[in-house]
Amino acid sequence: MNRNGFGGISRRQMLKAGAALGAGAVAGGLPSLAARADTPELTMWWWGEQELPGLQAFVDESVKAYTAATVKPMLQDTAVVISQFQTAAAAGEAPDIQYLWNGIYHMESVWLGYVKPLNGLVKDEVITSSNPTLLSRYGGNIYRLGWYPLPMVWIYNKDLYDKAGLDADNPPKTWDELLAAAEKLKSAGISPIGGGIQDGYWGEWFAGHGFAQNVDSAGEIVDLFTGEKDFREPRYHAHWVKLEELKKAGFLNPEISSTELYPGIDLIVAGKVATGLSIGSRLPADSKATGGRIGVMPMPVYGPGKMAGKPILDTQGIGISAGSKNPEAAAAFLEYLNSPERLKAFYDKTGWLPANVNFDLSVVEDASVRDMWQRWGLSENIPYLGNLVPGQFYEQALLPAAQQVVEGKITGEQAGELAYNVAKEWREFNPDIVENYKTWAVDLAG
Amino acid sequence: MTQGSRLTPYLYVAPLVALLLFVFGYPLVRIFEFSFKMVRGIDGPWIGLRNYDLVLSQSLFWESVQHNLLLLLAVPFMVIWSLLIAVVLYERLKGWKLYRVVLFLPYILAIPIIAVIMKKMFQFNGPVNEVLRWIGLDFLALDWIGSSDVALWTVMLLIIWRESALGIILFLARLLALDESLIESAKLEGANWWQRLWHIIVPQMKTVIEFYVVVSVITILSAVFAYVYVIGGGRGGPGTSTMVVELYIFNALIRTSLPGIASAVSVMLFLVSLLLIVPLFAMRRRANEEEMG
Repeated sequence: MNRNGFGGISRRQMLKAGAALGAGAVAGGLPSLAARADTPELTMWWWGEQELPGLQAFVDESVKAYTAATVKPMLQDTAVVISQFQTAAAAGEAPDIQYLWNGIYHMESVWLGYVKPLNGLVKDEVITSSNPTLLSRYGGNIYRLGWYPLPMVWIYNKDLYDKAGLDADNPPKTWDELLAAAEKLKSAGISPIGGGIQDGYWGEWFAGHGFAQNVDSAGEIVDLFTGEKDFREPRYHAHWVKLEELKKAGFLNPEISSTELYPGIDLIVAGKVATGLSIGSRLPADSKATGGRIGVMPMPVYGPGKMAGKPILDTQGIGISAGSKNPEAAAAFLEYLNSPERLKAFYDKTGWLPANVNFDLSVVEDASVRDMWQRWGLSENIPYLGNLVPGQFYEQALLPAAQQVVEGKITGEQAGELAYNVAKEWREFNPDIVENYKTWAVDLAG
Repeated sequence: MTQGSRLTPYLYVAPLVALLLFVFGYPLVRIFEFSFKMVRGIDGPWIGLRNYDLVLSQSLFWESVQHNLLLLLAVPFMVIWSLLIAVVLYERLKGWKLYRVVLFLPYILAIPIIAVIMKKMFQFNGPVNEVLRWIGLDFLALDWIGSSDVALWTVMLLIIWRESALGIILFLARLLALDESLIESAKLEGANWWQRLWHIIVPQMKTVIEFYVVVSVITILSAVFAYVYVIGGGRGGPGTSTMVVELYIFNALIRTSLPGIASAVSVMLFLVSLLLIVPLFAMRRRANEEEMG
């Protein structure tokens, strides 16, 4: 839309161009300076240095090396990644490029009309290869590029498995095998399963894996919030029943309730707990710390759903603001970030993989990391269903339910009842968003 | 006095009043406004009392209120503990000035700092339980921050420890300003320590005790966020066992994208706090009148 009568060029750009032309006349270099005046300016709000040290260096280097536009990056604080963007977008001051977490964490901004569809703007090949995952699709459009991946994994300490007489190269594939392994570990005096749930996230991860066990599509999880499906049905709260089973069998580490997520993962790396939940981006460091003795596996299968047992891949992503005055230039910069040279630079700066499947995996030295990416990133995978959960449900059911099951305060079935009630409350609090969820369910049904 | 001279003082304070109205008044009006709207992004449609209706019918909200009310049980402990320590310090034990500094130290440290340290101390395998197990008191080695039955009491313990520091200093300051001859006379007439405390010291400290009680009640109703946030794993957990009204507001605003709901609860909390502040001002006025006259 032409908002200033200068054919899409802002008054500031006109003044800049005029000044540049004047200076150019003095220097006798009109054509080259006219070209510089045309160089668009882009703003980019991003996040990730907090979880992936080195990303700042990658962004800085990329911005510096990019010549087709001047990109001004700003690292956002964790607490305001969404609210800062939404507030700025509502005020017409959104950045051109915005970091976007997956699923509901960017979909609300989409529903508010703050994010631009990328299909038709960014090359299809780049969109697909960047691994945006199914959860970025709404109303037939795709709203993010994948930037870097977060494979959601179960990990186990191979030394502890060896110690208990288990085959460390063949971790449990089914729930029954897991229980049998846990029994052996317990007999050997080892905490079989666990981590830390004090801050709640472990419960989110457990449910994120568990949701996949009894459903055939991501849309089925969305139906639980729109009221089409019911958490009180055993298959939809089976993961909490399984958690209760682990608790009752004494398989969870005793300090799990007073330990936070990452210190809990450290317990596995330190050889104090045998099996637990983690994210793939920790693997390079954890593998190095243990001399390659951390193994990864999908959640052992207990459900008949089509998604059960498949590797779960989440990706952090990036998109273009609906208010961007230079969406084409923003798209070109995002394509540049996905060029082979930038993908290699990403790995060099962060020590972690970019989400793009075209990344040359041969540069990764750690065999366990290569193996994980081969299975989680380059083979058939499913999206992380924990990202479909509305914020209210996340806070009032997903995290508290798991914590209470782990401390033995409620049963898995009661957790299902709690989830049903909170989902119902969410619909009452958010009647407008329920309609968006219904549309989203159609996109996710495939 | 002319019309102009009567207006002059108001003109002097007008800029400050305007600034205060902008800084405090405008947000307050917006919060009241938002509480009647279904806010999405930065505004939304008017929905009347719907937000209040939703909040008041939600069990989590009432659970949060209940936790704030339970935490109020800390106030009598804080008053008694602060008073006893202040009186002991007033007796000018050897090294009392050092004790005074040590006792006040928690109050000048930021709450998140002491809460993080306490959290480490009270972990299931943390130093507190290690010591308890070492001295054979295993039955007392509770899951202080990991059990729904215990976590709120752990928060309360931390609040009592830190907030009592203010009481100790307030009470001690008042004690040091007392007319010592009264206490000396009581001593000469054979009054014991408790009698002096109950019949001489406490009556003279009535206003400062009242002040401390009101301040503490307001603190517990509307300023325990940092304690709960750290000890409750940022979520008011385990489960919802340490959820309080402030955290409910924070979650509604930041984590669940419900500014209208957050505003409705904020308005209610504001009105309750106002009900407590009004008597505080009345008390201060009465105390001033007593001192003047």
